Amino acid sequence: MTKYIAKRLIQLIPLLIGITLITFFVMHLAPGDPTALFTDPNIKPEELVRIRANWGLDKPIITQYFIWLKNAAKLDFGYSYISGKPVIQEISERLPNTLILMSISFALILLISIPVGVISAVKKGSAFDNIFTVVSFIFMSIPTFWLALVFMLIFSLKLGWVPSFGNLVLPVTVMVISGLAGITRYQRASMIEVLGQEYIKVARAKGMPEWLVIYKHALRNALIPIVTMLGLSLPDLFGGAFIIETIFAWPGMGRLGVSAVFSRNYPMIMGITLLTSILIVLGNLLADVGYAIVDPRIRYAKKE
Amino acid sequence: MKILVKSLLLLFLLIGFSFAADYDPNGRLILSLGGEVSVMNPILSTDTTSSAIEGVIFTGLVKLDKNLNFVPDLAKSWKVSKNGLVWTFKLRKDVKWHDGKPFTADDVKFTFDTIMNPKINSVRRGDYFIDGKPIKFKVKDKYTIQAILPKPFSPFLVSAGMGILPKHLLAGKELDMAYFNNHPIGTGPFKFVEYKTGDHVLVSRNPEYYGGAPLLKEIIFKIVPDENTALIALKTGEIDSTGIPAKDFHPIKGVNLFKYDALLYTYLGFNLKSPKFSDVRVRQALSYAVNRKQLIGLVFRGYASPAYSPCAPVSWAYSGDVSKYEYDPGKAKKLLKEAGVNTLEFTLLINHGNKEREKGATILQQQFKKIGVKMNIRVLEWSSLLKVINARKDPKDYDAVLIGWSTGVDPDAYSIWHSSQYPGGLNFIGYKNPKVDKLLDAGRREQTKVGRKKIYAQMYKEITKDAPYIFLWYPNVLTGVRNRVGGLSEPGPAGLMVDIEKVYIKSSPLSSPLHEMERGTAKQGGEEDKL
Repeated sequence: MTKYIAKRLIQLIPLLIGITLITFFVMHLAPGDPTALFTDPNIKPEELVRIRANWGLDKPIITQYFIWLKNAAKLDFGYSYISGKPVIQEISERLPNTLILMSISFALILLISIPVGVISAVKKGSAFDNIFTVVSFIFMSIPTFWLALVFMLIFSLKLGWVPSFGNLVLPVTVMVISGLAGITRYQRASMIEVLGQEYIKVARAKGMPEWLVIYKHALRNALIPIVTMLGLSLPDLFGGAFIIETIFAWPGMGRLGVSAVFSRNYPMIMGITLLTSILIVLGNLLADVGYAIVDPRIRYAKKE
Repeated sequence: MKILVKSLLLLFLLIGFSFAADYDPNGRLILSLGGEVSVMNPILSTDTTSSAIEGVIFTGLVKLDKNLNFVPDLAKSWKVSKNGLVWTFKLRKDVKWHDGKPFTADDVKFTFDTIMNPKINSVRRGDYFIDGKPIKFKVKDKYTIQAILPKPFSPFLVSAGMGILPKHLLAGKELDMAYFNNHPIGTGPFKFVEYKTGDHVLVSRNPEYYGGAPLLKEIIFKIVPDENTALIALKTGEIDSTGIPAKDFHPIKGVNLFKYDALLYTYLGFNLKSPKFSDVRVRQALSYAVNRKQLIGLVFRGYASPAYSPCAPVSWAYSGDVSKYEYDPGKAKKLLKEAGVNTLEFTLLINHGNKEREKGATILQQQFKKIGVKMNIRVLEWSSLLKVINARKDPKDYDAVLIGWSTGVDPDAYSIWHSSQYPGGLNFIGYKNPKVDKLLDAGRREQTKVGRKKIYAQMYKEITKDAPYIFLWYPNVLTGVRNRVGGLSEPGPAGLMVDIEKVYIKSSPLSSPLHEMERGTAKQGGEEDKL
């Protein structure tokens, strides 16, 4: 297993270089540049030319990329064009906020959706299942920004229970509601599939109590797809949710990333892309390893 | 004697009491910012978010009063030599930086020299060059600074209003990345306390402010990027003030609403180098086809004024004596016929995300249709749009663009209308009128306001005759302020808080120490709302 992980980690390096190369070129292909934001009739175009040169943007793009790569190898990701602060520092100022928001929402989603999914599957076709199916589809189809504003109107303005911004209660509630449906449906589907398997019949035939059949045999297997989902949603956990963060004025990574794109803040875009891609590939790796832990049938690099 | 003391004491008590009932000495004003804070350094920042904060921390040699006149600030007086080249500023001697060090003429020279340093990424550098030659700053003595201009330039006071930086903290530092930019120290009424990235900036009263200690104890600037959220927060009392979109400009309990004009105008600019618009009659025809009343009614619910000139009515240089193209579709059709245009189809560029312009463009499309002109609308992201219109080539690849200018305090519009500013500058429509060029030069040379006003009046007449833009509307600024806030200035282009040191939070009528402890919490406004 260790050998396998080590091999996968080494494979990551060329992959990451490839990702940054593509991002760098695509980013420069987008029209406009960081100084385009300075439009004001009193700013002279020659000043923008000078500032671009100060930032090294007058050099060929390929040269710019190698300069970036060389610095990145030394863990120097440059300074934000907007704030003049090191990219690493800005990311690390935002990261904790996003982690708090996303991990609480994530934990709540799992705590609610797994039991609900399991009960729905076990009692397939019951009133409980039907109600949750309908509710899931309703939640899935409501746009998050709309739900966010409606909640704000009800709970902040009308009832005055929670502040309208800068507080965790509403953003977490909205995130949980919008994220709940997907995982619940997933859990339900995979549980139904597992319950139809031969070994469940065998377990039942052995005279095993039903709760033991469900929790020991069925659930463990039905969790495998959820582990994959979790691994794949790791980047979201760090990347933040742009819309929620904007509406509830939550200072997280999502807002930082999107504003970097709009302002063509190249060093920041590169820093965030690199961080997110590392997380995606690590997330995939984690999902693969997680598989092996929950599913005894899967074993890697079995050579002995 | 005893009686005298007693009555004096009573008097003090009364004054003390009446003051307590008027303003809360521990008042905290909560303002909202629509965007992220970039750098809190006036020579580097280019966004309105950061300048809102800089406005209370830094001060300049001169400042604007509510009528947009320049009045003394760090400079107590100034003199201009007869030839208009030497501006001498006498500085106040009682000014201290927030860290206690005295302010002197060296700080002023340092600030302007830094802006002019090509290695520093200040977009303001060009303001201190006149026709390519730098303005020189000379320290005459500790409290006298001279600016020596290469040629007379009357808009100079605008550049003299730049926030001054402390030399003792920044000399020899790499300014673009300085720690100072996030921990500013200035000479203004409020001192910087803390900045929580993406969340808020807190500033507190500078008791030693030379303009008198502010009445507010603190101002907290909360970053609320979504305008719907800001409006809800204003209603709940979590923030004290925010801009309100025209569609939501309705009475709100506990909030005073303000409407005022600003130095802005929105226009449709023709690419004059395109054969479609080279004939002035075509441009005039399209100008006549615009029903501004309908536009303003539908887009702004009436909260804007029709525009006919490149100068906002609140500017001192405004003149109503221009060629007005009032709605007249008959005349429009006639002009098109005269120009020999049977079919006209063109594409209007607008920027993505500006709801008002998107709506306005659709209405214009219908209005042009009535005179048989087909207008297509192309929505581009802001940077992409700028790339098209600012491309350094002649002719440029667009027909027309819907956009706006924020014109600044001085009427000098050289960068917009002078023929030298095409194709590389902001005269991206390729406007060229030798008379206007001359008037622009004259307006910069002329020293007196009266003389300049005459020059610009003539220029507006010239420009409107050529109809290079269809001037559409002057947007109104719509703002709500919670009624617990007092000391606001008369609503005007300079805003509502021209003298921020005079703004205060009213203390509740039953002011007691206990009450004062609750003050400033977000809840208070909300309770008021429910009463």
